[in-house]
Amino acid sequence: MAAARAAVVCGLGTHLPSRVVTNADLAGELDTSDAWIRSRTGIGQRHLAEDGTATSDLAVEAGRRALKSASTDTVDAVIVATTTPDHTCPATAPAVAARTGLGTVPAFDVAAVCTGFLYGLAAGAGLIAAGTAHSVLVVGAETYSSILDPRDRSTRAIFGDGAGAVVLRAGDRDEPGALGPPVLGSDGTGRALIQVPSGGSRHPIRAENAERADPYFRMAGAQVFRHAVERMTEATREAVARAGWTPEEIDVLVAHQANVRIVNAVADQLRLPRSRFPVHLDRVGNTAAASIPLALADAVTAGALRPGHRTALAAFGGGLTWGATTLTWPDVTPV
Amino acid sequence: MSDTYPRLVQLLVDNFGFETDEVNPDDTFSALELDSLALVELTLTVQQEFGVKLSDDDLDADSTLGQAVEVIEQKLVAA
Repeated sequence: MAAARAAVVCGLGTHLPSRVVTNADLAGELDTSDAWIRSRTGIGQRHLAEDGTATSDLAVEAGRRALKSASTDTVDAVIVATTTPDHTCPATAPAVAARTGLGTVPAFDVAAVCTGFLYGLAAGAGLIAAGTAHSVLVVGAETYSSILDPRDRSTRAIFGDGAGAVVLRAGDRDEPGALGPPVLGSDGTGRALIQVPSGGSRHPIRAENAERADPYFRMAGAQVFRHAVERMTEATREAVARAGWTPEEIDVLVAHQANVRIVNAVADQLRLPRSRFPVHLDRVGNTAAASIPLALADAVTAGALRPGHRTALAAFGGGLTWGATTLTWPDVTPV
Repeated sequence: MSDTYPRLVQLLVDNFGFETDEVNPDDTFSALELDSLALVELTLTVQQEFGVKLSDDDLDADSTLGQAVEVIEQKLVAA
């Protein structure tokens, strides 16, 4: 039996909206402070989209840059991971494909909240393994500013907008950039811990109930914290074992950038030095499905992530969902 | 005499910046100004140190260090 084709990362692109909102800016309108936000989360500022900018606008820019990084202008499929699609219907990916000049290729969204990028990578790798596609653009893109309660200091301090994307191509399991076996999981019994209560089919927002509707993103912080640490730790251990590595052999672990205290706790649970866990959230906040490609690009630019590094990716998000995978970092320059 | 209490105090010293003589068995977590995330961080550290599983219901902000020791020791006996 011929071995299934591996999915190989061959391009990386990112895009952040230009408007920067600092902790001091938030303290000017909410009961919070720079010291409170930094000590609770490690976040110093976030980028927010201007009104009128949608998720696809950020995704198109990141996608273009990923294609440029991969020195290609075509792919066979587009996957967009997002919690904040342009519309409830249709999906955002077809618009991204069309506007990126990719024509009529298959395009669909993946909804796994902050784990979306890893679910998207697994879906893209599956298309390649099955021979459905030879190359796939996987984008994580979010405009959380569109679903945050303006009066909720906890979520407004945490989340930012942005997009990141990779190009996957068919390749060999042993070459740099080849994604290792993905570990994915979900636990729907925890669905209320991270939720937008109204606006879906469970609680549609209609004229007669609009006053009671809650259209904003809600999160039970302390409970999410524990689940995030335990699930990311467990998923990383499993993904690393499936790759034939030990945890100590991980050179760099890029974790979903939710909160620096979560990242540190995962490092401690794995008994690895915190220095192997790049931190990007101090400058961009939690960008949900976009956080891993954004953090990868930042780590490459900073010199913390270099070709040949044994790299693990781990994420946790609403659903609940979680995941991890591995790759040997390839010689890819982020654009 | 069990060593659970001194080990718990050592975790507070190593991870949360306390001095050994600043904490007492009667102190609650809220009196020690450990916020909700810090309480989760502490329970994760306790799990790692003692090899017992603590749930969200086992400890809260009003629990004292002495009560935390009891919970940990009960779990150690059950394990």
